[in-house]
Formats: sequence, C-alpha cells, structure tokens
Amino acid sequence: MREMTLTINGAPYTVDAHDKRVLLDILREELSLTGTKQSCDRKGQCGACTVLVNGKAVRSCLTKVADLDGAEVVSIEGLGTPDNPHLIQEAFVLAGAVQCGFCSPGMIMAAKALLDENPDPDTEVIKSKLRGNLCRCTGYTKIIEAVKLAARFLRGEINPDTVRPDPSRGMIGVSLPRPHAMMLACGTAKFTADIRMEGALELAAVRSPHEHALIKSVDTSAAEKMPGVIGVMTAKDIRGSNRLKDDQPLLCDKKVHVLGDAVALVAALTKKQALEAAQAVTVAYEPLPAVKTPTEALAEGCVQVHEGEPNLCYIHPQIKGDAEAALRESATVVSAEFSSQLIHQAALEPEASLAYFEEEAEEPKLVVVGRSIIIHHHLMVLQEALGWDNMRYEQGFIGGQFGIKMDITAEGLAAAAAIHFRRPVRYVCSLAESMLITTKRHPFEMKVSLGADPKGRLTGYDIDFIVNNGAYTSAGKSIINRALFMLSGSYNIPNVKALGRLVYTNDAWGGAARGAGPPQVNFALESAMDLLADKLGMDRLEFRLINSIRPGDSISTGQVVDEWPYPECLEALRPHYKRAMLQAAPFKHGKIRRGVGIAGGSFGIGRGGPDRSNVAVELMPDGGLTIYGSIADPGEGNDAMLTQISSHLTGIPQHKIRLVCRDTDRTPDSSSASGSRVTYMSGGAMVNAIAALTSAMGEVGASTYEEMAAAGKPTKFLGTRVQDATFLDPKTGQGAPFESRVHGAQMAEVEVDTITGKVRVVKLTAVVDPGTILNPMIVEGQIEGGLDMGAGMALREEYVHGRTKDWVGLKFPTTKTALDMEVILLETPRKKGPLGAVGVGEFVLLPTAAAIMGSIQDATGGVRICHLPATPKRVLEAMTAKTNK
Amino acid sequence: MGLTGTLSISEDTVALDEGKEACFDDEGFLTDPELWHETLAEGMAKADGLPGLSDRHWRVIRFLRHYYLTVGKSPLNTELTRGTGLTLMEIEALFPRGIKYGARRLAGLPNPKGC
Repeated sequence: MREMTLTINGAPYTVDAHDKRVLLDILREELSLTGTKQSCDRKGQCGACTVLVNGKAVRSCLTKVADLDGAEVVSIEGLGTPDNPHLIQEAFVLAGAVQCGFCSPGMIMAAKALLDENPDPDTEVIKSKLRGNLCRCTGYTKIIEAVKLAARFLRGEINPDTVRPDPSRGMIGVSLPRPHAMMLACGTAKFTADIRMEGALELAAVRSPHEHALIKSVDTSAAEKMPGVIGVMTAKDIRGSNRLKDDQPLLCDKKVHVLGDAVALVAALTKKQALEAAQAVTVAYEPLPAVKTPTEALAEGCVQVHEGEPNLCYIHPQIKGDAEAALRESATVVSAEFSSQLIHQAALEPEASLAYFEEEAEEPKLVVVGRSIIIHHHLMVLQEALGWDNMRYEQGFIGGQFGIKMDITAEGLAAAAAIHFRRPVRYVCSLAESMLITTKRHPFEMKVSLGADPKGRLTGYDIDFIVNNGAYTSAGKSIINRALFMLSGSYNIPNVKALGRLVYTNDAWGGAARGAGPPQVNFALESAMDLLADKLGMDRLEFRLINSIRPGDSISTGQVVDEWPYPECLEALRPHYKRAMLQAAPFKHGKIRRGVGIAGGSFGIGRGGPDRSNVAVELMPDGGLTIYGSIADPGEGNDAMLTQISSHLTGIPQHKIRLVCRDTDRTPDSSSASGSRVTYMSGGAMVNAIAALTSAMGEVGASTYEEMAAAGKPTKFLGTRVQDATFLDPKTGQGAPFESRVHGAQMAEVEVDTITGKVRVVKLTAVVDPGTILNPMIVEGQIEGGLDMGAGMALREEYVHGRTKDWVGLKFPTTKTALDMEVILLETPRKKGPLGAVGVGEFVLLPTAAAIMGSIQDATGGVRICHLPATPKRVLEAMTAKTNK
Repeated sequence: MGLTGTLSISEDTVALDEGKEACFDDEGFLTDPELWHETLAEGMAKADGLPGLSDRHWRVIRFLRHYYLTVGKSPLNTELTRGTGLTLMEIEALFPRGIKYGARRLAGLPNPKGC
C-alpha cells in the first residue's frame, strides 16, 4: 500500500493512494464534516458539495481522493464557525441569502474561490462563477447581493457591524438576521442525512419497475444470503395497518399502483451491500394496463387504479348565483381551455430518515428522524401504520420544502425496519429515488368561460377543472377545495359555477406544492381576464382595477370580506406598468420583441376552514423565554418571526429566546407549516400564550421568574389560535374558508426570440401586501424565491415520472436563468394577524405564470399560450396560429 | 348543515346552546374542542352505536380533554393508560372505533391533519 497525505482544514490526512473514494465520502463518512452536502447523486450538478482544493472550488463528489496527494482541502468547517465566522458567512447571513441553508455551504465555498481570485466581481461574473451551485429557495437575488456584500467586507470598505441592524430600531419591521442562519452558513446545522449513529443498518428498497401490476410473489432468499445483509422484509412483516393514507401502502403486498412503489426492504451493514442485495430480490409481477391521463381514467370500462374505488375519487361543485344565465346575457364572453403541468417541488435535500430506539422497555421508544413539516400528524400516521405507539418524531433541519414534506416517505420505511430488525436504521435515498417517491404538483385541465357587461364589469365565471391525482391521494382533496376557496381570485364575480374533479391515474401522485391548487386555477382566471380585457378593448390593469373586490363584496364561496387591499397593489404597480409599456413599445417588430404582462392574486391564510394552532411559552430562570411549538422552519424564517414578535412583546432580548420546535415529545401540536399559516396561526397562538404569561405575572405583580416562583405561580403557558372559518358546503361550495388573505400584483417584462421561440424574462416586478411586515429582508426573500419558481413553472419545468431523474433533467433554476426582480411591499395591517401580519410564501406563485404568458402575447402579437410551460415550440406555434388567422 | 337532534359523522354540524354550531370535519372530528360538552359527547357516542357512556368512558374522555387542553396535543397510549389506570385493551373495548376514531373523537379533540 502506498500512502499519501493531504491536509483537510489544516490537519494532515493520510489515505491509500489506490483509494477509489471521492473526497465527499472522506469528508462526510470518515471525518463527519457534514457541512459539505450531497444532492445530485454525484453528478456534479448541484454544487452543494463544493470545497476548496488548493484554493480552487471543486465538486468534492467528483474529486477522487487518489488525485489529491499533497493537496490542501478546505471545507465549510475550515472557513469559519458560528462563534468565529468568516466574512463571507457573515455576508450571507446579513444579506438574507440563507433560507433552508442546504446549498449555503457549497455556495459560500464557491464564493470564497471567486473572491480570492476577483475581489470586485460584478453581477455577471458572480452569476457565471456560481452557475453550478443550485438554490431553490432564493431565486439567487440575495445570494448575488451577499457575494457583493462579502466583497465589500473583504476589501475593507465596510464591516458587518456597519450593516447589522441598529438594536435601537426594535424588533418589528427590521431586517434582523435569522437566528439559525449562521449555523446553516457554517455547516453545523444537522440535516437528517448528516446524523449518524453507531451500528445503524443501511436500507435499500426494492421498487416496482411497473406502473400498474399485481404482485404474484416475492422471493427474498438469494438476497438474504448476500454479504452484509441482516435481513429482508416485506409487507407481512409490518405490524400495523401498513398504510400512510387510506389508499397508500407503505410496502405494497398485492398490487403496485405507480412506478417506484416499494415492495420489499433490505437492511445491510452498508448502503452498497443493501443496494446490491435489493437487486437480488425477485418479484414476480402480472402487469396491468396503466392509466396515464384523467381522460383515460374517466372513460367507460377503464381499469380501476384502486380496486373498489372509482377513478373519479373526489368531486366538489361551487355555485354562487346563476353563472349560466349571467354568461348567456353578458355583452362579452371569452371561453378557453388551459392546462398546467406535473411539477416537482424540487427541494434540494434528498429524502432521508434515521430510526432508532432510545430506551429499554417492553415497548421501547422509537425515535424517527426526518423532515416532516407536520410532526404530530405524521407521528400518528406512523403509529397506526407500524402498530407501534411509543414513538417520537424528531425533525432535522429541512433542505427546502415547498409542500413536498407534507408527506413522509423514507421515515415510514426506516421506522418499519427499525421495529422489525430491532436495530437503528438509516435510510438515505438517492436523488433519483427521491424523485420517484415524493409528491408532485398536480396537473390541472381547465375549461373556462368569463363574461362582462358593456362597461367591463364581470358578470359570470364558469370553470370545470380536472385534476390528475396520480396513484395516491395525498393532499388531492385539499387541492380541489383550496382551488375553490380562491377560485374568483381578486375579483368581484357575482355569478360563479365550478366543478372540480380529482381523478386517479397510475402517474406520480400529487401533493402539497407551494400554493396547492390556487396557482393553477389563478393561472386560468388571470389569463381569461387578459383575454376578456383585450376583447373589450380595455387596458388590462384598468380592467382588473374596476373588477377588484371591495370590502363588503363576496368571493366565489359567498364569504363577504371586510379587508381587500388589492386595488392598492394595482395602483402601486401602475407607474412601473406605464414605464415598461413605453420601454417595450419600440420592440414590437424584428427578431427580438419585448412584451409586458400583468396578473394579480389573493391568497387565503390557513388550512382553509377550521384551523387551530397550539404554542406554549415558558419564562426561564435566566430571564429568557422558551417557545414550544411544532413549527417547522424549512427556510421561511419562522425562527425570526417567533423570536422577533416575542422579543417585541416581552422586552426579552432576542438572543435569550429559545425555540423548541422539532420534537413531538416536547412540543404542543401547532399543526403544519403549510397554507402560509405559520405566522398567522402559530404566531397568533404564541401571542396568546405570551398574553397569558404576562397576565399571570401582572396578577401577582411579578416581573421576573423568581417572583413568579416565589408567588407559587406557573411559568409555562399554552396559547391557542383558532381561525373563525368554515368548510365549504359540499353541494354549493359556499362557506367562509379564511379570516384573512395576502394580496398582490405582478408584472412580467420579456424578450421573445421570434426565430427560436425562446423567452427571456427581462424583469419581474412584484407588489405584495402581507400586512404588517415583521422582517422586510425575509419577506423579500420569500417573494424572490417564489417569482423564480413561478418563472420555472411558466417557461421550463415539467416532471415526467420515471424519466426525470436529476436536476438537469428537471431544468432546475440556476444563476443563468436568474431574473432581475423588483419587490414593492405595501403594509396594510390585518385585523386578526399577529401584530397585523399574515404569511407570504405561497401567494407569490399565483400571478407569475399568467403575467409571463400575457407578456409573451404582448411581445409577439400572437395567440394566448394556454398550456404550461411555454416552451419555445409552444411560443412558435402561438405565433403561427396568429399568422394563419 | 345546521342539524339538530341526532347526529352521525356524515352530518357536518350540530346546533349547540347559545346559538353556536359545533362543526365536524369529514372524519367526524369536532373542529373546535372548546365547543365540546358532555351532551354532545353522548350524542356522538350514540351515533357510534354505544348504548351510553359509563364512568370508565368518562374517565378516558376527561383525561384526553384535560391533557389536550393543558399540553396542547394528544397523549401517547402509554400516557393515556397511566393517566386513566386502564389497560389499552380495556380502553379499546370501551370504544369500539378505537382510541383515535372513538375516544379522541368523542373527547372533542381535533383531527391532527395538514392542509
């Protein structure tokens, strides 16, 4: 054996010169330097594993350790620590460039290499040098700002204290750094795959190569004899219901319903052994016809995806007034068909879980570590599915979310194996496997008619929408309901008729995805608004303005609203719209043409219908405050929301406020981090808990923990927040689903290449009114990330189950596709929001696709593109259709 | 909607005193635990096919409510058996629809679901 030595973060490290491993393995597996992340199945696509080798940024997943003789390696841990961060890490935190933080270590190392080489890079240079580092959360805007800020720090022009918010400005409306941001920037925050446990078995799943098939037999005998294999388990080895949902088995026993369904699990000493043994499990299938589309699924005689269940698995109407009569009598009506595509939420962190027992007992406590954003519910799901009650769920840091973590995947299998083998089990999925086993954004097919009177007032709206549920019902019914909750968007439409249908197919199953239903129907409505404005000969902004809901009007559910600051959003957009139209006017001919489009939206805050959150606060002996609640923070900045509000209300410094949010044993049930509900519901519950604490302190004249203790009073109080809302009537779709909403309008400016059909988004401008703004930097970050995701939905992204296997295939946004954005924040305090605030994360996606389609139409003068995404082919077809008229 | 008298889990709401309506979700869980009262629980039990609620039933129901309203979540079964002095088998025998769909639901605890 020939040895060679390299240094890693300054320490010598000796390896065999014939070692075939890559640097990433050494860092993560041997040295536990887990700040270096892995996302793209070692294809060099994501940049999350970027480290410095001899001062150059390299992908550690592609760098063979045998090539590093004498090399100096620096990982994120060698750059700085939370107590002593590097200036680049400070800059990322202060600029708000760290959301989920999964990409941050790699991004920071790439920035280090860049700034060592070029101390004053401009935007284009930064984009070029970071083009291989992916981020789903930020839209790259704040990352680019962070690199520029870091450059100023490093050049000595300013220092972090220069830009750190002045403490005298208080807590509300101040862009304070997120409390967890520095841990994430320094790579010390533990994501699930970063957590190791001595003796943990590694797991591999045997997955179906068929979309629809009967399982005739499973032969595990060969696999069981393979090296390192501890055992193989199938559905019969699961003690509980073996169901994650009523229609979704954890391990399939009789039938598989979609490509990638799990049939068996192999537990082995190493991942490699488990994967090899999984290949040796023989499953005999009897293939069945696969149902690919809702049209096929609804055809007479079509095979049923689930025996005993009709393929049409949910239907919900909505009737307000008499839309048929209104449309019949309208002066102007437009009718069109729209569709949206299957999209992967594309959180950067692959699926992962660790399950282990933590105490000796007849039924010891099983700990399941994962990335759920609704831990108490998922604990209950696991208890029932596995027939094991003594369990707690512990949440790791979450590498992006966007709805995908409303469902659990790896957790169920890791927990099942831990129970079966009575050993700790680790299940870290590849990216390709993660794509197979997670939910996606549901595709919609929508037929609409929208009418107006001679003055341009909306009269009636008819929409029939069919949703491809895929093989399992995750949030499918909620998706239909939520589409109906927000069906009339921002507008006063006196007559509405709608029918939403959810249809099983053997395709990837849909689930929660940023916005969860409203982005799809809002795309159709806002597109129809443009078509109708054009037909009426009205300006698109003026048409929206005169049709906006005003307080006292009702939405499509019949709920009368008392606050609706949408017209103000349009007015704020107006000068930008005028400027953009003037700038685009000279470019309506020739090869490259420019266009402008606008769209709006209003998004309900909460689950829709009754909603409840429980949060507790405890005054601590050191004068600090601990907040307890199952409040996930996959990057939205809920840590800042909780600490800034509580510090503001109690006067306790932010650094003395601690969060206990990740563990079902230690938290009350605050429900999910979905529906843009966390600030409104859990922030509201915390405000109520603080009110109970301060009231109790006031009763005995106490101002400290000691005084409360001396008075014999408790120091921990539970607060609840219950939303005054109702479900929809199942026959009419009428009801009051939300107390409050976030509103906004967006404008897209694009350039269209009329020869290739390629679209370049020149700029997106977003006006948003999220009520009181607690932390402007975080709100901007949410909007920028949402705009980037909306542009992907509009122009590029389409997931194909079984074919899309990595980030390149997904057309993941990069700095190359990053957009110029402008965010304009309005601030109309909401009556029932905590300090007047509501959430903002999901709303942003509602207007973007329609605004971009409008801008393409404006640029080309062609017909409207009604089917997403607007690929170059579709753009050219739309232009040709106009020409052929 | 707005039903009075008997109720089953397929019915959405039931009228309460003071003109308020208790609202149920599609799995028959009360959406607001504060609107629960004993008469409501008795009606729900009847709809579940129980002839009546015994002292043992009430012991379970009251423990579940007290736990939820003070801790903010449902107890584990081990906590439930410890808190009531009943075995799991005894509790399951009391509530034929099980602990989640029987006991927790009759106690007015919300259904811990997401969006």
